[in-house]
Amino acid sequence: MTIAIRDDLVDAHRASLVHIAAPGAHFDSARRLRIAQVAIDAYLAADAGPPWARPHGDLALDVAHRVARHAGTITLEWYEQVIGDGLDPLEWVEIVGIVVAVVPPVAFARAVGVPLPSLPAVVDGSPTGREASELAPATLNWVPVAAPADQRASVVQALSALPDEWDNLWRLAGAQYMSDQQMSDPQWNRGTLTRAQMELVAGRLSLIRECFF
Amino acid sequence: MLSWSSSDAGNPADLAAIIDGEGDGGLPLGRELVAFTDGITGYDDDALDAARARLVEAAGEHFMVDAAAIAANFEMMTRVADGTGARFPAESAAARAPLDERLGIRGFVSARP
Repeated sequence: MTIAIRDDLVDAHRASLVHIAAPGAHFDSARRLRIAQVAIDAYLAADAGPPWARPHGDLALDVAHRVARHAGTITLEWYEQVIGDGLDPLEWVEIVGIVVAVVPPVAFARAVGVPLPSLPAVVDGSPTGREASELAPATLNWVPVAAPADQRASVVQALSALPDEWDNLWRLAGAQYMSDQQMSDPQWNRGTLTRAQMELVAGRLSLIRECFF
Repeated sequence: MLSWSSSDAGNPADLAAIIDGEGDGGLPLGRELVAFTDGITGYDDDALDAARARLVEAAGEHFMVDAAAIAANFEMMTRVADGTGARFPAESAAARAPLDERLGIRGFVSARP
């Protein structure tokens, strides 16, 4: 079956997969692709095990697994435990960035009934070390963010410590949902779903995922 | 956000569609959208296929594609929020409290004080 999909959506999902394969701030391409594959497997598995399990015995992969499958169960205590076990807080941010880069293209493909996307090949290169020019602890997030902290909504500043992850997130959001500018108009829509219908999908999904936010 | 958006459009939504997946939320195609969303978040491919087919039949393929994109977006944003410990500032958390109560979500692990 051939399905007509908006070009901007195709482009955003393709760019997100390319982004995953590029060297990140702290992880090289191969490691990022491994994290992404763990996230895909955790997202799609009918039985992914309980939230507290660490199925990979590898901090980064176990965080990816839990964020992809059991995000609503993550506590500050678990975050602090993982950081205490040796994961750098900005590595945690990068893992979240990878998970939220790969889940949308996979979720969308499954939803519309087309083949799931493949991950790109490994790209040569070392981690970039690219971070926000100044970092700050936040009161609205567990993770460090770009300074000054807490001047923007917590979901907006969430990945701001790593600009490449932040850019990819908001490129996806603009194509999948709407841009900040469009959001300010409560009547804006794409001519298909009304805003109320959009929020019904958003609200129902958020409740199923037990996302209080 | 559902209450805000729906009320502004002059079509107050019934939160039961969000809370328990029943009804249409007071919206055209609400029942089909809830079934599609439930199919996306579930692991029964046959149920998802059936919900997708019903939505396409009722509203067309472009509508279904945009609904799928919104679902994908919130598969993303829920993980951003819960993966980074996002919370509301105290003042907006207080303003949300009645809606949170109606939604029955204050007991979620992700309800960070």
